[in-house]
Amino acid sequence: MRKKKNGSLVTRRDFIKGAALGALGIALYGKDGRPFAAPKSRSVPFAAENPQSTVVLIRDEKAIGTGDKIDPAAVQEMIDTAIKEFSGEAEVAKAWSKFFRANDTVGVKFTRCNWMRVHTEQAVIDAIVRRVEEAGVTKDRIFAQDGGLPVTKCTALINVPSVKVHTLTGIAVSLKNYINFTSQPSKYHAPSTNLGEIFLFPEVKGKTRLIVVDMLRPYFGPGPQINPLHRWNYCGVMVSNDPVAVDTVCLKICQAKRNLFRGEEWPISPPPDSIYSADKNYKLGTSDPAKIKLVKLGWEKDILI
Amino acid sequence: MRNTWAGRAAAASLILLAGLLLLAGRFRSGGSHVLDREKVVSSFPLLKALPREICGWTAVDGDQVFGRDNIFDYMDGAGEIYLAFDFQFLFVREYVRPDAPSVVVEIYQMASSEDAFGVFTQDTDGEEADCGQEAIYAAGLLRLWKGDFFVRILADKETPEAKTVVMKMGSAVAAAIPTEGKRPKLTTALPAEGLRPKSLRYFHTLISLNTHYYLANVNILNLSPETQAVMGRYHKEGAQAHLLLVGYPSAGRAFDAYGRFVEMFLLERFVPDVPVKPKKLENGKFAGIVQKGEYLIIVLDADKKTLLDWLLKQVSMNL
Repeated sequence: MRKKKNGSLVTRRDFIKGAALGALGIALYGKDGRPFAAPKSRSVPFAAENPQSTVVLIRDEKAIGTGDKIDPAAVQEMIDTAIKEFSGEAEVAKAWSKFFRANDTVGVKFTRCNWMRVHTEQAVIDAIVRRVEEAGVTKDRIFAQDGGLPVTKCTALINVPSVKVHTLTGIAVSLKNYINFTSQPSKYHAPSTNLGEIFLFPEVKGKTRLIVVDMLRPYFGPGPQINPLHRWNYCGVMVSNDPVAVDTVCLKICQAKRNLFRGEEWPISPPPDSIYSADKNYKLGTSDPAKIKLVKLGWEKDILI
Repeated sequence: MRNTWAGRAAAASLILLAGLLLLAGRFRSGGSHVLDREKVVSSFPLLKALPREICGWTAVDGDQVFGRDNIFDYMDGAGEIYLAFDFQFLFVREYVRPDAPSVVVEIYQMASSEDAFGVFTQDTDGEEADCGQEAIYAAGLLRLWKGDFFVRILADKETPEAKTVVMKMGSAVAAAIPTEGKRPKLTTALPAEGLRPKSLRYFHTLISLNTHYYLANVNILNLSPETQAVMGRYHKEGAQAHLLLVGYPSAGRAFDAYGRFVEMFLLERFVPDVPVKPKKLENGKFAGIVQKGEYLIIVLDADKKTLLDWLLKQVSMNL
């Protein structure tokens, strides 16, 4: 029989039984009907005394036009609305000023993956930078970059990932987006359980004020490189301050899309152990749907969650 | 008996480790693994098949070549998948045309046609195309294999003109590859009846298995560059199942992996010379394993035990 002392062994059966990755494992390899928490109150930071995270998901079918052309105005509108909802403020300026002050140095960490081509759209980056500037942060103290972002200089970070299912880490969203903050990215691939560690680096820890996920055109295929057939126009943006909750919601959406594409269960493989580990080992947020308050705004068709 | 097996397993692990160390060079081929890139480009036999200009698209100056030593410079975050095969080098050329999507041609030189086929089977979604030995086209992306080469041609966006260029380029490259290669011999052991279209996969190591079918986070089956594995999905008489066939360098190595699978996945006590019965798992599906010489035949997620039994029997007869 399997030696129980070998705690590092996790098999497919552990996922089926719900003994690995909790609700995430069941969602991928078993049958999971566990709902997200109902939206009742405004968001507050995830903390032990308030173990509920808020994720605002907004969609607009007009955000992407013919030829997959992104409409910057629609993107700006979605981000503004989501930030207002997330902050509980009625005005855009007040909403952003809850997160950034004029004396901040702000890093806007986006995803630019030339070989994979699932980038954070420029319209998303521009919309964020515009509002940070309007919050009083001067241009010379806003660093919108992927690789080479001077994180040590920054007093605040905005995590702005794209969404893609990933051959080695299961899924790549906000947790994986900070991989560029290490000099050894491959150390965080297969297994990727230690991705959350990057958020606790001294130069990174506590700086992430917002997460704005570009969900305009996510990728759900097996990889390793892009197959355009596996990209779809979801036309969404997601806002939160909990990277674990954000990745959990994205995982559910991508898993639902895969199942829909194949007309049968097509589990994301390998399972994204980074999400569960970021929750349980690094305490960066929650992967438990019951503790994630998911607020859905805008276009509802094919929302998949 | 158990101690005997455990001892054998430990000894086998040491042998495996030594083998892996000796084989560290196998997937690097030829001693030094740092490529002389200029030499590779100048002697690349398929270079003449690639035009400088096609339908208004012109080649960007500076073809690129990546070897095992720097594949991550080209695809940081996915190079591991190619390194899991006997990948030699990658040649990349980009074509551009004003107001049109760019087209990138990637030609992967593998050490064998088996591995070219294996990389090709990593993703088979799309429509079959008449190009090379096998090809699949999907929304601007053409993937094909022929001989020792795997070729990937991608238009940044699909347009009718871009599709024409992609297909022309694929045909030209495929025509320049002088000889066809063999599919892995192991694939012939899989029964054709019930095999779902485009579900066949060929690979060597755990990293590849886990992208197709997550079995465990540790290498239960002792997969290595020395092992060959084929996997397929079956649908027969209303039931489905995954079939995994692994070939080891020796019957002893297969035996050790057999014991590991029985104890670590089936969670049964392994007793040599006592056949392991198929087991119904927590999800109501069946899993089973049979060893035949240097091969392990494994059926997973079988809806019905009859399908599992049929697959194990058919593959045993085919080996």
